[in-house]
Amino acid sequence: MNRKQYVYILVYTCLFALFACKQENGEYHNLNDKIESESKNYHGTSLSSETYIGDVKTIKITEGVHTFLIPERKSQIQSFECIECHTKPIDELKSNDAKKKAHWDISLAHADGEVMNCITCHNGEDMNNLNTLTGVNVDFNSSYKLCSQCHSSQFEDWKGGAHGKRIGGWAPPRASFTCVNCHNPHDPSFKSRWPSRYNTKESEESDGGVEH
Amino acid sequence: MSKSKKWYSLDLGFNRKKESSGSCGCGKTSGGCQSHEKEMSDEAYLEAAVTASIGEEVKKDGFEQVFDVKMDRRTAFKKLTASLLIGAGAVSTSCSVVSGDDTKEKAQIDWEEQFKGNYKLMTDNEKSATVERLMRSYELRTGKNISMTSENAKEDVLFGYAFNISKCQGYMDCVNACIEENNQDRNSEMQYIRIHEMKDGKGLKFDESDDNYYHEVPAEGHFYMGTQCFHCDNPPCVEVCPVQATWREDDGLVVIDYDWCVGCRYCMAACPYDGRRFNWSKPEVPEKEINKNQHYLGNRMRKKGVMEKCTFCVQRSRKGQNPACVEACPTGARIFGNLLDPNSTIRWVLENKKVFRLKEDLGTEPKFWYFMD
Repeated sequence: MNRKQYVYILVYTCLFALFACKQENGEYHNLNDKIESESKNYHGTSLSSETYIGDVKTIKITEGVHTFLIPERKSQIQSFECIECHTKPIDELKSNDAKKKAHWDISLAHADGEVMNCITCHNGEDMNNLNTLTGVNVDFNSSYKLCSQCHSSQFEDWKGGAHGKRIGGWAPPRASFTCVNCHNPHDPSFKSRWPSRYNTKESEESDGGVEH
Repeated sequence: MSKSKKWYSLDLGFNRKKESSGSCGCGKTSGGCQSHEKEMSDEAYLEAAVTASIGEEVKKDGFEQVFDVKMDRRTAFKKLTASLLIGAGAVSTSCSVVSGDDTKEKAQIDWEEQFKGNYKLMTDNEKSATVERLMRSYELRTGKNISMTSENAKEDVLFGYAFNISKCQGYMDCVNACIEENNQDRNSEMQYIRIHEMKDGKGLKFDESDDNYYHEVPAEGHFYMGTQCFHCDNPPCVEVCPVQATWREDDGLVVIDYDWCVGCRYCMAACPYDGRRFNWSKPEVPEKEINKNQHYLGNRMRKKGVMEKCTFCVQRSRKGQNPACVEACPTGARIFGNLLDPNSTIRWVLENKKVFRLKEDLGTEPKFWYFMD
């Protein structure tokens, strides 16, 4: 081969390389590259989901690097404040059999009796508050702090947004349900039930063309 | 034919609102529009790209796109007949002394709608004009008002979705919400979302999954996996559409112009995820169940013979709201958000959970991830 041919090959290789890698103008090798590069100069959106949160009263919490809104709880508990009835120590209330039992509708189906009972979460001395395993008072609005004592992986996911349900919209500010909005703390598992409708009519739909 | 319009206007005396003549998006007719300079360079780039890939066809719009193309005699006659019928209707109503103002206005709207262009190529003014016509037309026909928008993609937004397969219980609340939100045909029971009931330990076997289950859920030893349109970043359905009636918007939504779709169902065949649905019959929704908050590319009423599919509820998501399925899910298995926002929950899921997508090897780049607890 003479020199001229080498030059040609070199020129063509350069040209090929030029067109093979079209990185600019919004073309990327894959979606991850696109997300990474386009979010570098993210300025935020003009959209807000504030109006969609509606009447839900929220409080702002900060856990680690995450700051978001959760629904306020105390105003939603029917018989709060608890000390309006709990004037006497629980032992005395319990012993009086003549009275109609309060909280008759609550039976604890959360872990088993050897692990948990009422006072694992409730503070028998101060009924208006909850308490941690070590006896530190926790406000009813921050009840997630009790759940996180055992359910640590769920807590991590919830903080990041992988566990739990957003309220309002996708746009900031973020508002998420807290544990007790979906899980009844006395009976936390999701119950089996009938689906709300019959599932897809896939077979009929794809055969639709045959009948027509 | 005025320069601003891409099709002939028929004036039956109802063109009360004259459109501004400048074709510039800012609406100003003389001087002072800063966006011109940028537009020119974008246009130049687009032109070069388009000529290189598809040729001239794509630049034609409205009237030209229908008539100024090579076509065989049969197609030409078909198109002519359709247009002539509408024309004849318009002429007969305009000449008639009996027909009322409403009939004339209806004919005028039909004419404009018949010759409007592809939504993708419309300017913002044209978009709002067609949306107004459609709302007026609905009012004339049913006496009821709807609200339809033509909201464009917002900047710095790319929609993404994540689905937690260990949380979904198969309750189907999402499907119900989707049908109501998106005005899907009640007769054929069209559903955008499919929930597949799969056996534990058998892997993701879509051919062995039960898609028509009806028993108490969750069933012992099963898990549930929802599929719908994945809004691929490299969508094969868009590639195959012969009339460019479907495309990917800047915020990542793959949308359909129901008025431009010819119903060939190539896209349905090209989609590897069973994401697209076809209207075999005229979609019917009882008047009182119609969701009147609509978007041109979203849940407005479709007609017989066009494709439709999930749009991530464009009428909701472009306003900052979550799609109806996300809002309805009682288990929190569905997560939706902006992929470009580094602080969004969807980004946290993608960065911290073990996520996967279906048929990733196809290179379709779905913006729909699955993950487990």
